[in-house]
Amino acid sequence: MDDLQFRKSIYADPQTSDDAIIEAMNADPTKKKFAQEIETLDAKISQAMQIPVPDDLYNKLILRQTMATHQQKKKKTRIHLALAASVAFAVGLTINFMQVSTAYSNIGDYALAHVNHEAKYFSNNDEAKVTLASLNQKMAAFSGSFEQELGELIAANYCRFDGMKSLHLVFHGKSSPVTVFIIPQNNELEFIANFAENQLKGKSLKYKDANIIVIGDKAESLQQWQDNIEKNVRWSI
Amino acid sequence: MIKKIIGNKSDSSQVSYNMATKQIRYEALVKALHGDLYRYAYWLCHDKHVAEDLVQETFLRAWRALDSLKDEKAAKSWLITILRRENARRFERKRFDMSEYEEAAITDNLSTSTEQEIENHWLREKIAQLPEEYREPLVLQVLGGFSGEEIANLLSLNKNTVMTRLFRARNQLKDSLDEEPLARGSYNG
Repeated sequence: MDDLQFRKSIYADPQTSDDAIIEAMNADPTKKKFAQEIETLDAKISQAMQIPVPDDLYNKLILRQTMATHQQKKKKTRIHLALAASVAFAVGLTINFMQVSTAYSNIGDYALAHVNHEAKYFSNNDEAKVTLASLNQKMAAFSGSFEQELGELIAANYCRFDGMKSLHLVFHGKSSPVTVFIIPQNNELEFIANFAENQLKGKSLKYKDANIIVIGDKAESLQQWQDNIEKNVRWSI
Repeated sequence: MIKKIIGNKSDSSQVSYNMATKQIRYEALVKALHGDLYRYAYWLCHDKHVAEDLVQETFLRAWRALDSLKDEKAAKSWLITILRRENARRFERKRFDMSEYEEAAITDNLSTSTEQEIENHWLREKIAQLPEEYREPLVLQVLGGFSGEEIANLLSLNKNTVMTRLFRARNQLKDSLDEEPLARGSYNG
């Protein structure tokens, strides 16, 4: 190894562990002396570079970080508060919605309750006084009409069916009045094709924009009613 | 919903556990390396206050990114990388020239210092007067104990360049040491 190369290597890294350099150093006392010189220089440089570190720097660094974390935490608390607020808000909305909305899970239950509630106003002896024309006038609200009379119509009124505007028809039945509801399609109450309770039973038909429910007592042939409706009802587009 | 709340709760205890571990890691890191980092910062900017600011910014960034530090052995070079970036940012922010060496920046109370300290002081000036591209690898090698390869990685240079700069840095210091022993004597006079 030539001298220049050796000096360059030692200058670049006095602590070198390169075998060739160490070998050259051991072989030549001049080189060894030079290496030691530079090592001494390096020790001086190292000492000079060890400038004093401020005593409180460590504490300052920890403090600074603690403050930063604290602020972050405060932000997080605010987020948590906001989360809690929105959850409470959502819960409030849900409860509100559930209270307004029905306790009945399907149209059948609601229809039966409705009929039972109004049972005392209608009897099979009531005079049939509603004409097809006035029925169809009312049916226009549902964009529908009937071709022929379905039976002897005692009453035809708009009513609230679970908060929806619907048409409530009461016909003469065999032994007691037969109720027909025309209700708009909705998603809140589950559609149910057949339902019954102690005295009454019901059937529902599903159309594009409306459901038609027939309810009568057990003696009544609801299927016949339903067929009759199916045959006569016309929906305008 | 209840499950969710309970889930959150254990999550948050997990988080606070992680936070505690993180805190311990961080404090250990600061304790072990703040001195080296401060000195390194000082030799980058020759200003005690700027160096302190740099170290504070560096450790704050390190705290935020502590999860990305997987290998504790790499901590020093990781921190130095952050500090160098922070230093570069300083120059983007304010464009006044800090590389100009200010004599007043190195304060050492000469009147009460020993011979050794005087020599240190003198050598410090020489180190500070080295061109930045020579000084930085030298500081990394002598103070940081990094190998030529590691320095090359830190500074994004190739290893030969680093070795050449190290050679020139020491060569210059050696030359000025050889030249100036008399001036050094009169310095104290």
